[in-house]
Amino acid sequence: MHIKRASVALIAALTIAACSGAAATPTPLPATPTPAPVVTPAPTPAPTATPVVTPAPTATPAATPTASPTPAASTAAPSPSASSTLKIGVVTDVGRVDDKNFNQFSFEGAKLGATDIGAAAPQVVVPNSADEYASDIQQYVSQSYDVIVTVGFNLYSATVAAALANPNIWFIGVDQSICVDATGKDDPTFACKGDPKTLLPHYIGISFEEDQAGYLAGIVAASISQSHIIGAIGGINLVPAVVRYIQGYQLGAMATDPTVSVKIGYVSKSDFTKAFADPAGGQTYATQFIQANKPDVLFQVAGSTGNGVLQAACTAGIDGIGVDVDQWGSLSAATDPTYGCIVTSAEKHLSNAVEASIQQISGGTAAGGNVEYNATNDGIGVSMEQDGKGLITPAIQTLLDTALAGMKAGSVTTCPTTCGQP
Amino acid sequence: MDQLINGLYGIPVAGLIFQAVGYIVDQLPFLSHAAVAISIPIIFAALCGVVCERSGVVNIGLEGIMLTAAFVGWVVGVVATQFLGHGDPTPLFGFTLPLIIALVSAVAAGMLLSLLHAWLAISVRADQIISGTIINIIALGLTGYLISLISQSSPKGAGSFTPLAIPQNVANLPVVGWLINAVFNQGPIAISAIVLTVVLQILLFRSRWGLRTRSVGEHPKAAETVGIDVVKLRYRNVVAGGALAALGGAYLSMELTNSFQPGMTQGRGFIGLAAMIVGRWTPLGAFGAAVLFGSAQAISSSITFAPPTGSLGDFMNQVPPQLFDALPYLVTIIILAGLIGRSTPPAADGQPYSREAAT
Repeated sequence: MHIKRASVALIAALTIAACSGAAATPTPLPATPTPAPVVTPAPTPAPTATPVVTPAPTATPAATPTASPTPAASTAAPSPSASSTLKIGVVTDVGRVDDKNFNQFSFEGAKLGATDIGAAAPQVVVPNSADEYASDIQQYVSQSYDVIVTVGFNLYSATVAAALANPNIWFIGVDQSICVDATGKDDPTFACKGDPKTLLPHYIGISFEEDQAGYLAGIVAASISQSHIIGAIGGINLVPAVVRYIQGYQLGAMATDPTVSVKIGYVSKSDFTKAFADPAGGQTYATQFIQANKPDVLFQVAGSTGNGVLQAACTAGIDGIGVDVDQWGSLSAATDPTYGCIVTSAEKHLSNAVEASIQQISGGTAAGGNVEYNATNDGIGVSMEQDGKGLITPAIQTLLDTALAGMKAGSVTTCPTTCGQP
Repeated sequence: MDQLINGLYGIPVAGLIFQAVGYIVDQLPFLSHAAVAISIPIIFAALCGVVCERSGVVNIGLEGIMLTAAFVGWVVGVVATQFLGHGDPTPLFGFTLPLIIALVSAVAAGMLLSLLHAWLAISVRADQIISGTIINIIALGLTGYLISLISQSSPKGAGSFTPLAIPQNVANLPVVGWLINAVFNQGPIAISAIVLTVVLQILLFRSRWGLRTRSVGEHPKAAETVGIDVVKLRYRNVVAGGALAALGGAYLSMELTNSFQPGMTQGRGFIGLAAMIVGRWTPLGAFGAAVLFGSAQAISSSITFAPPTGSLGDFMNQVPPQLFDALPYLVTIIILAGLIGRSTPPAADGQPYSREAAT
C-alpha cells in the first residue's frame, strides 16, 4: 500500500526533475532547429538520374586553384552550357524538403549549383530521425557520389566522421563550423586543435556571420519604432549563433538611433527544448516580456519557440522580425493572420552559399575548412517587406544598403569583442 | 561555492528577502498574467488527476491525452477551415465555426483515449501506471508521425481563441487592476479552467456524485454494498477527466498558439499530477499548486529580461543562472517533499476493483 503510494509520488517527482533536465540535449542547435522528431517517408536516393545531355564542346579544365576561397555567388557562374559529371546528393535534417526553411533553401542551392555547372539534378534524402544521419550519408558514399551536402548543425558530427573516412568526396556542411582535434575527429571539448583545411581538405563548413544579419534587422527595428523601445528574444544564450544575432541587432539599432532602448531576453539559460521547441512557452514568455518592457518591435531568435514569440507580438499589435529565413513565407503569413505582423527577417542566404560552394568545387577553386558567409559574398541579408504596410521606407532601405556596403568595406562593426559569448 | 557562502554571511539576509519581495511586487502587474497563462494547462491536468484518482484510478496518461487533444484540435481546425472557410470571429473570444468544431473534436479525442485507459485500468485490471505510460508513448509517437504527414501540405490553422479584452482603465485600477487583468484578460478555455475548478470543488464535496466518487476511491467494497456501481462510476470519472485534460491540450494549440509542435505539452501533464498531489487531491488545492508553479516560472522569466538591481542583483549574480531556470521545478519538488508525508491519496487509489476478490 504505502510502497505503491510512494512509488506514484516518486514517479511524479522524478518526472518533474526529468522535465527540467532530460529534455535538454547538450548539443547546441542552430538558431532555428527544424521541428523536433518528425518523420517523413524518405525518398531513397535512386540511382542517379541521367546526366544533362547538353553537348558541351569542351569540359572546362580545372582552373588554377586560388589560395583563398573567395566564394563568389552567381556572379562567377560558369556558363550554363557547361557539363559536369559531378553527382550531388543532399541529406537534409529531419522534417521535410519543402519546409520553407533550412532544408528547402539548402536543397534549392544544390539544385541551382547543379544547373550552373551542368550536372545532373541532385538527389535528396530526408532522414526519419537523428540516428539515420550517418547511414543516409553512407548511402551516397557507397553509390560514389562526388558532392554530399548535409543540412544543418545537427548533421555536423555525422558529416565530420564521413569526411574523415572518405577524403576524396566533397562534403558541404550547411551551418556547420568545423572543430576537430589533431587527428581530424570531431572535438567535443571545442579546443579545435586540428586544422580542418589540412585534415579534412574536402569538407567545406559553411557558417554565417549572424551578427551582420542581426545588425540589419536592428536598423529596421530602430527605424520603424515609434516608442524608441525595441526588443529581442533569444532561445538560449549558450548558442553563439543566437547571441551573435542579438549582439548585431543591438549594435545596428544603436547606430541608427542612439536614443533607442534595446530590451533583451533569453527564454532559457539551460534548457534547449524550452529554448527552441516550445511555442506555447514562447508565447507566454513574450507576452510577459512585451507587457513589462513595452517594446513596439520584437526580434525573435528562438526556433519554434520563436514562432510563439512572433504570435505574441502580433497579438499585442506590435511588429515582429523573423530569423534565419524569410519567415513571412515560412509561416505563411500571407494567409495566416497569426503571423501577419512580420515586417522582415534577418536571413542567412543558405541557397547562395550552397550554390557558390558547388560552383567552386566544379571550378576547382574550392578548399576545405570553415567558410564564412557574410555581406561580402552575399551570405546574409534581410527579407523584403511583404505585408503591404510600407514600413520599410526608401530612406530605411538606403540605410540598409549603406550598412551592407560598410560591411563589405569592413568599416562597420557588427559584433562587440565578446562576439557570440553569453 | 565558498564565495557564495561568504556572500551569504556578508549580506543581511532579511534585507535580501525584503528586496526580493519588492522586486516581485514591482514585476507583479506583468508576471501575474503570465503566471495564470502558464498554469492553465497544469490546472486542467491536475483537475483530470483529481477526478480520476478520487474515484480510485491513477491516470498518468494525461500527458498523452493532452498532446492528442492538442493535435486533434489543431488538425480538425485545419480541415474544418478548408471546408467552411475562416468565418467571422465573434467579437467576444473570437469563436468561429471551425474553431468550435475543432474544440469539440479535441475534447472527444481526449475522452476516447481516456476510455481506453479506463478499459485497461478498470475492466482489464491492468497496472494503471503501465497503461498510462503506454498512452503517453503512443500519443507522442503517433501525433509526431501524423503531423509530419499533414504538414507536407502546408496547412493553414483555424486561428485561435482571443482573450477577453479588458478595458485599459480597468486594468490600470490601483490595487486590483493587475489581478483583474491577470485572471480575465484570458481566452475562453483559460477562464473555463477557473470556473471548472470552483464547480468541481463544490461538486466533489457537496454533491451526491462527489460523495459517491470519494467513497469509491476510499473503500469501493463498502460503496458497492450500499448500491453504488463502482465500475460504472470509475468509467464515468475517468472519461470526464479525459475531457478536462483535453481542454488543457486544446488550450496549448488553439488558444495560446495557433500551431502544433510534436511533443508540445513538454511535461505539463506530469507537472499537473504533481500539482494534484501538492494540492492534496482537491480541485482548489491543485489550482493553488499550479498557480504557484506558474508564478515561479513567471518570476524566473522576469529575472531573465529585467534582472533585479541593488544588493539582491549582486547576490543573484553569484548564483548560476541555470538555478533560476530550475526555480519552478525546485519549488514544486520542495513543496512536494515537504508535504508528501501529510498528503494522503484516496485509500483505494490505483487499485483495480474486483467484486469477487476479498480485500
